[in-house]
Amino acid sequence: MTDYLTPFLEATVRTATPLALASLGESISERAGVINVGLEGVIISGCLGAVVGARSGSVLAGMAAGAVAGMAAALIFAVFVVWLRADQIITGTALTIGALGLTATLYRALFGTSGVALSTPTMGPLAIPVLSTIPVLGPALFRQPPVTYFLYLMVGVVWWFLYRTHAGLALRAVGENPEAAQAAGIDAVRTQGAAVLAAGALGGLAGASLVLAQVGTFTERMSAGRGFIAIAIVALGRWRPLGVALAALLFGAASALQFLFQSTGTQLPYQLFLALPYVLTLIVLAGGTAHARAPAALGRRDLESS
Amino acid sequence: MTFALELRDVSKRFGSVEALARASLRVRPGTVHALLGENGAGKTTLMRIAYGAMRPDAGTVFLDGIAANLRSSADAIARGLGMVHQHFALVPAMTVAENVALGMRGRYDAGAAAARVRALGQATGLVLDPGARVETLPVGAQQRVEIVKALARDARVLILDEPTSVLPPGEAEELLRWVRRFRDQGRCVVLITHKLREALGIADDVTVLRRGATILTGPADTLDEPALVAALLGGDEREGPTSSESSATLPPAISPAAILPRGPLPAGNPVATLRHVSITDARGRRALHDASLDVHQGEIVGLAAVEGSGQHELLRLLAGRLTPTAGDVTLPESIAFIPEDRHRDALVLGMTLLENVALRGLGARRGRMPWGELRDSTESLLARFHVRATGPGALARELSGGNQQKLVLGRELSSHPAMVVAENPTRGLDIRAIASVQAQLRAARDAGSAVVLHSSDLDEVLALADRVLVLHDGRVQVVDTPTRERVGRAMLGATIGISSGAAPADVPTAG
Repeated sequence: MTDYLTPFLEATVRTATPLALASLGESISERAGVINVGLEGVIISGCLGAVVGARSGSVLAGMAAGAVAGMAAALIFAVFVVWLRADQIITGTALTIGALGLTATLYRALFGTSGVALSTPTMGPLAIPVLSTIPVLGPALFRQPPVTYFLYLMVGVVWWFLYRTHAGLALRAVGENPEAAQAAGIDAVRTQGAAVLAAGALGGLAGASLVLAQVGTFTERMSAGRGFIAIAIVALGRWRPLGVALAALLFGAASALQFLFQSTGTQLPYQLFLALPYVLTLIVLAGGTAHARAPAALGRRDLESS
Repeated sequence: MTFALELRDVSKRFGSVEALARASLRVRPGTVHALLGENGAGKTTLMRIAYGAMRPDAGTVFLDGIAANLRSSADAIARGLGMVHQHFALVPAMTVAENVALGMRGRYDAGAAAARVRALGQATGLVLDPGARVETLPVGAQQRVEIVKALARDARVLILDEPTSVLPPGEAEELLRWVRRFRDQGRCVVLITHKLREALGIADDVTVLRRGATILTGPADTLDEPALVAALLGGDEREGPTSSESSATLPPAISPAAILPRGPLPAGNPVATLRHVSITDARGRRALHDASLDVHQGEIVGLAAVEGSGQHELLRLLAGRLTPTAGDVTLPESIAFIPEDRHRDALVLGMTLLENVALRGLGARRGRMPWGELRDSTESLLARFHVRATGPGALARELSGGNQQKLVLGRELSSHPAMVVAENPTRGLDIRAIASVQAQLRAARDAGSAVVLHSSDLDEVLALADRVLVLHDGRVQVVDTPTRERVGRAMLGATIGISSGAAPADVPTAG
């Protein structure tokens, strides 16, 4: 069984990385009271951005371009939701549908309609000395593409920001009770805008890591519902950075199961395992979040109670 | 003379409503300044402008004699202003220390923030547990958090919006004593209040606003209650439909002799009966302990209690919204409940008045909505209960607090319920609205309903009740001769030689 376990765990962390990046970002936004159901659109924008950026031959440029593309998508959302106070769910849904269509169109316009898959440079795993030699867990956690290490760093950074800075406290207060935050002299609109943009950068990075650390190409709708799964992960992780990272691992494991079962040669149809993450999402949303307490002002349009 | 805070000729308009019309306020250094006015007189708008939360259309704010162009609350805070809103601006899910640190910059260090709360507590006498979550604190402690929050930002002028309206008598007096000490350190307090006696008792200066303009301002020792009442109500004292009621119910603040309850009643039939009822809440706390009582037709039972004594649970039990852990409860068929938080529990602010009226009893109705009938009954309800609104199609949020409460009351009382349960029904209302609400409760009693009333304003309980029950620590007591002092002592758990509601054979009845 250990023959299978290490590859399974490696696959778990690898598939969890984009999910964790996206949901870590979404948790920042939700902590500020904004639920971006357009996250799917942010991720697919990041995918396309990464392909364009990586044309230079540099994976790093692809990552950066992915983050910028994610922020651009989030900016559109922020203009409507944060500054114009439009409905968050409707705007987010529009963003997802719009971005899925627009990225497909742009991809065809930029790279032709030949249908030949465009391949990008990818970042291979980078084994960290010593740590990667720990039995079982070592390779799983420390023989990963660099973007995964960036994720580890961001989990700590976001935690530190939320709980160890006054700006983080202000952000959480805006998501709980914007009136109280404003009475304390906090600019709630600016806080939410910044949170949405930061979430956009991480969401774009999630898309970029999908392209540059996993698939190596762009395909239409390649985000494949990860944005929605990430929203479920945020709730399962109780809006806390470490919780979100662990919840993302659970979903990563569900995805990685297909590799495990394929390699063990089971007779079950593989579509069953492909469906597993989505089934898990449903189960989590139905049961796992029953006792979780969302930020009290999540989804609210008005910043002043009347 | 240089004023610590001065608002000069401030005007503000919301659409067609002129909230402030060249209003002025001058706060001398080292004074308590009472700001009086009915709801809608512009008190809160004026103070929000002083606090930078709103910009005036015209007029100037001066701080220490210098024109201050306040662009935000952050500006005002930086210049030494602090405000405690009537509805607290706290984040319930966060700790005391986190709430106090809110709005500051740089690294947040939980240990340092807690130490600061403790140090401020020692320096000011406002002691708080920095690690306690705000939502678990009683209202008095939440208010202390608000004040400490302002003091942590070095507030020299503290604006308190009706601070005592949420406090039981003992704590209110404690707060006012604290206000005096704060003033004696050379700082200023602007006290927004409805209570004339409180204003005259504590303030150095008094300013009265009416319809957005400053009607009266001067040192408190040159003013008396009749002068303030005249300034507050102005010329339309005789015009209002509720004028006779207002003069009848103004006395709670004016002549304490008039507030004693009326004598023994012709005892009606009991409509609600509690026998040995206990309630244990989710956290295992005994909210109500072996309570036995009867509520009769045609009486107002006043329930006096300090915050957290079990009144919240007892009232919900009587309203049929809570089931007891032990004991027997008999309730009438039709009960009207007027909850304390009308925004949360009684009205849907985004719906029209018509829809809000239609909500009553909705859970038990089926099929088509009789909108025509409901519109007629809403119209007559608005007229009968003097709800000032453009019509049944107006949104509930467009109404002033007093008119919202009159609507709730009208909706609940118009079905002639066997019992009315009211919890702080006049909280936050102006004198005229208070008079109207109190008159409606009396009218319900006179029409044969049993009324159970709890108010954190003891004077109101004494003014309205035919019989006074005191709840202390979840135990019901009957106060036989309910003077202010005896009831006040019983609320605090002092022995006053009263019969216990828990005595098995001695179920309290009219007395």
